[in-house]
Amino acid sequence: MSRELTRTLAAAIASVGVVGAMHAHAQSPSRPPDAGRGAVIAAQGVAPRVPACAQCHAFDGASEGSGAFPRIAGQSTYYLGKQMRDFASGVRTDAVMTPIGKALSTEEVADVAAYYATVASPFLPLKSGDPTLVKRGEQLAQIGDESKHLQSCDDCHGPGGAGEPPAIPYLAGQYAHYIAFQLQMWQRGFRKSSPDAMEYIAKRLDDRDVAAVAAYFQQARTATPPAQPKE
Amino acid sequence: MADLTRRFMLKATGAIGASMLSAGGAAAGTRGSEAASPGGARVAAGASPSIYVFLNREEAAFIESAVARLIPADAKWPGALEAGVSNYIDKQLAGAWGAGERLYRSGPWRPGTPSQGYQLPFTPAELFRAALGAINRDLSQAGTPFARMSSEQQDGYLRRLESGEKNLGGVPSDVFFEHLWQCTVEGFFSDPVYGGNRSMVAWRMVGFPGAYASYYELVDQHGIHIDRAPTSLAEDANGHMIINPGIPAKSP
Amino acid sequence: MAKRLKPVDVVTIGVGLTGSLMALELARAGLKVVGIERGAPRFTVPDFQSPAIHDELRFSIRKAMMQDNVKEAVTFRNAPDQSALPIRRWESFLPGTGLGGAFVHWNGQSFRFQVADFIYKTHIEQRYGKKILDPELTIQDWGVTYAELEPHYDRFEYLCGVSGKAGNIKGAIQPGGNPFEAPRARGYPTPPMKEPYFGALFREGAATLGYHPYPQPSANLSQPYTNAEGLTLQQCVFCGFCERYACEHFAKASPQTVILPVLLKNPNFELRTNCQVLRINLDSTGKKATGITYSDAAGAEVEQPADLVLITAFPLNNVRMLLLSGIGKPYDPKSGEGVVGRNYCYQTTGGATVFLDESINVNPFMASGANGTMIDDFGGDNFDHGPLGFIGGQYVGAIMTNGRPIEFHPTPPGTPKWGLGWKEAVARHYNHTVLLQQHGTSTASRLNYLDLDPTYRDAWGLPLLRMTFDFPENDIRMSQYVADKVVEIGHAMGAKTVIRGGTKRPYTTTVYQSTHNAGGAIMGDDPKTSVVNRYLQCWDVPNVFSIGASAFPQNGTYNYSMTIGALTYWALDAIKNKYLKAPGPLVHA
Repeated sequence: MSRELTRTLAAAIASVGVVGAMHAHAQSPSRPPDAGRGAVIAAQGVAPRVPACAQCHAFDGASEGSGAFPRIAGQSTYYLGKQMRDFASGVRTDAVMTPIGKALSTEEVADVAAYYATVASPFLPLKSGDPTLVKRGEQLAQIGDESKHLQSCDDCHGPGGAGEPPAIPYLAGQYAHYIAFQLQMWQRGFRKSSPDAMEYIAKRLDDRDVAAVAAYFQQARTATPPAQPKE
Repeated sequence: MADLTRRFMLKATGAIGASMLSAGGAAAGTRGSEAASPGGARVAAGASPSIYVFLNREEAAFIESAVARLIPADAKWPGALEAGVSNYIDKQLAGAWGAGERLYRSGPWRPGTPSQGYQLPFTPAELFRAALGAINRDLSQAGTPFARMSSEQQDGYLRRLESGEKNLGGVPSDVFFEHLWQCTVEGFFSDPVYGGNRSMVAWRMVGFPGAYASYYELVDQHGIHIDRAPTSLAEDANGHMIINPGIPAKSP
Repeated sequence: MAKRLKPVDVVTIGVGLTGSLMALELARAGLKVVGIERGAPRFTVPDFQSPAIHDELRFSIRKAMMQDNVKEAVTFRNAPDQSALPIRRWESFLPGTGLGGAFVHWNGQSFRFQVADFIYKTHIEQRYGKKILDPELTIQDWGVTYAELEPHYDRFEYLCGVSGKAGNIKGAIQPGGNPFEAPRARGYPTPPMKEPYFGALFREGAATLGYHPYPQPSANLSQPYTNAEGLTLQQCVFCGFCERYACEHFAKASPQTVILPVLLKNPNFELRTNCQVLRINLDSTGKKATGITYSDAAGAEVEQPADLVLITAFPLNNVRMLLLSGIGKPYDPKSGEGVVGRNYCYQTTGGATVFLDESINVNPFMASGANGTMIDDFGGDNFDHGPLGFIGGQYVGAIMTNGRPIEFHPTPPGTPKWGLGWKEAVARHYNHTVLLQQHGTSTASRLNYLDLDPTYRDAWGLPLLRMTFDFPENDIRMSQYVADKVVEIGHAMGAKTVIRGGTKRPYTTTVYQSTHNAGGAIMGDDPKTSVVNRYLQCWDVPNVFSIGASAFPQNGTYNYSMTIGALTYWALDAIKNKYLKAPGPLVHA
């Protein structure tokens, strides 16, 4: 096995402690996650029910930049695994992801999560958003807005939106369209994860503020992260 | 030109410190360079050593050797010296705390009971200056500067200071030791923005995740092993750190 | 010459918890209210945001939210035969400053007191006889009962959105709650907090010994909640930066989250910050206040005439303000005469350190200010003291609030104080250690009191407050008794090692214990033994009210913020419905 893959495998194994200790209602995987198998699922899917992740998310997890599909490279195994379980259970609903979530086994989810968590992936060169919107988004992200009863996004989403693994995803470098779409899903009650935090906050953002945080976070991270380390 | 004697680089010590830093930081293998990394901003290995603005050469030599004994390096983890604690102490003494921020400084001055706490007129900067001067004079008369003693001799000397046996220019040595120890613990465990806890090695050692702290989803997963890299309040999304030891202690 | 402003109806000295509650109700009643705050204005956004707020050195160690000792300190001695010296840096207790006061950086621990607390002297003497009391103790009844305060407790808890599980609703004991608590009309506004690992370990250990564990009531909320003012609190995220810090998430009840946005919009209210009140001015009879004099931010002296003066400045400052203004007769411990400064009390705290197996990840950094699991089996008078020879008690619990490493790096007995052995022990035990808390009664003694210092002054040239205090022997015996029980619980939790707690004399100002200073301007039925009547109105000057824990004749088992809120609403009720209609003494002794 290549040195790269050995390292990602080691990292994936190190994350088992997290995966294994997760919600009581999830079945524990019967073996340690295998990022190598995850790469295969990402590339080929699981016949006959599950299309290749790479078709939408790209093999490197950067998707294609339109925001129709989120960037998933480097999200924690915990978070990626939880999203799949949420699709399976109905906490999240999506015409494409829901059947995939239901079709993948616990082991397959862990494998794919291990793969995408550790893949190094560049940030695509995208058009910058409207500078006034980006500035407003930066304010909401780093400072908040007292009049709207909003704390800064970074309080939970980490330095510059880089995430607080394992449970809280990065926003920095996530696609604007996708961020906006998810906030709308919370506003309308279709996304039921972290309701006391995210539904509450989403409902206090008006359309302009949604566009602002989306535009800001898309351009908030420019340095290419290395393969996700676990230490 | 007196200023120049206070501002200098301890190049040799800095190099040793930095190399021990990269050996000690467990996952340093992927981060030997200055590459940005998510969730774990690093002062690059081989980074500039401490530039002292308060401590003179002799004072710095004592402080560096003393903190290296108070929290030594071992095979697993760097110690206070490598973590930049002497830099932390220097910047604190040079700043508002050293000058007596938030210290009631009116006399009359009377020795109190232990329950009454600190009752000396010295600001922290004055206290360190007086004590370090007395220590360095004491040791140069005796022949061996602290930095050139063996580890056992250094520990023995620190224990004598700790016991209060000496009077250091008006500062009882146990009062000085208490200040030095407290500063060492602070410099080891405080946010790296203050110039110590380099690369958050102390936080990695105990498993403290740092300044970004949102745990609603994890708090009831009893016993979960958290293994993310710690985060400093001074880092951005690209892993760049801005060090600012001048943050005052007053409410926003 | 001080510049004299146009008179207003009400002035509050301090705009913290009690000041803002008072100001809101009275402004709404149509009065012109001015709130004088010595500190700076500050709000959740931008001032309380992380990551800046999550700075242990700045806020925990350097005490950024606290009163600046350079300007104003307190002098201290253990006993009247010593010379008091300044507390040059805060450690044992941390008086806050700034808009919102200490209710910004408190821990959110939200208990009620018990029925017996308010009639303590009567209750103890009836149950045990006077002989159980050491001769120096000066416990008193409050002059108000729990039943009278119950609706005000309820109102304050519902203002704050307190998260908890009731243990006693109208006399019916509720499973899962505290069976020893005073009866409540209804449950808590929001459900209890999630229980961290240390709480679950404690609960299992305590239950095996037959005790009654329950979740600590918390003003760091378990879920979003909108109070009667239309203000919403968010859900606490267990960030581990609660006490000494402000909350970035709008999740901790504070004036900023539960009152101020409404108060600041009321046109009858005016806030003046960075203004230090120097004294309350009295007329030539000495029985009527004409207003206050303060020093503004630039140092100019300003006189603000007012019809009603409310001292809402934190217990120690309340007492000092009375002394500086010549309101009430200062207490003299030699003669036992006088009332202002009498019955100063503190809190008797401590606790055990429980070292667990290294396979148990406690994760202490995932914690909130009030997420504990506790037992009241040894609180107050919940157990028979007859054979024991002391009064009072402590609650016991696993109430860890943080894993901040400058403050928290426990090592077992025998660990060297520094060096390699220390470092290795810190690394080994950091994530596998639980702190247990004992927290309880502070009994009033004729030896413990507050007055003005003869020597040391503040930045405005006024005498500092002088504190004479040591733990009464009674409280030492009490705490040592409970300490043994705590060790048993530690072992029942599976400890490999337990370091026993328990309080010893002398009290020292050099180690943090609690900021629950109490007494000094106590309430009661008799002007010879109290400073304020049961409505917190000064006996000597009826248009001055002194609101806060300074009114407590002695301190109870529990953290006292809810009791302060209840007493404030109680006093407000009397002011609005009785005093304003007929200004003058509300109680004729």
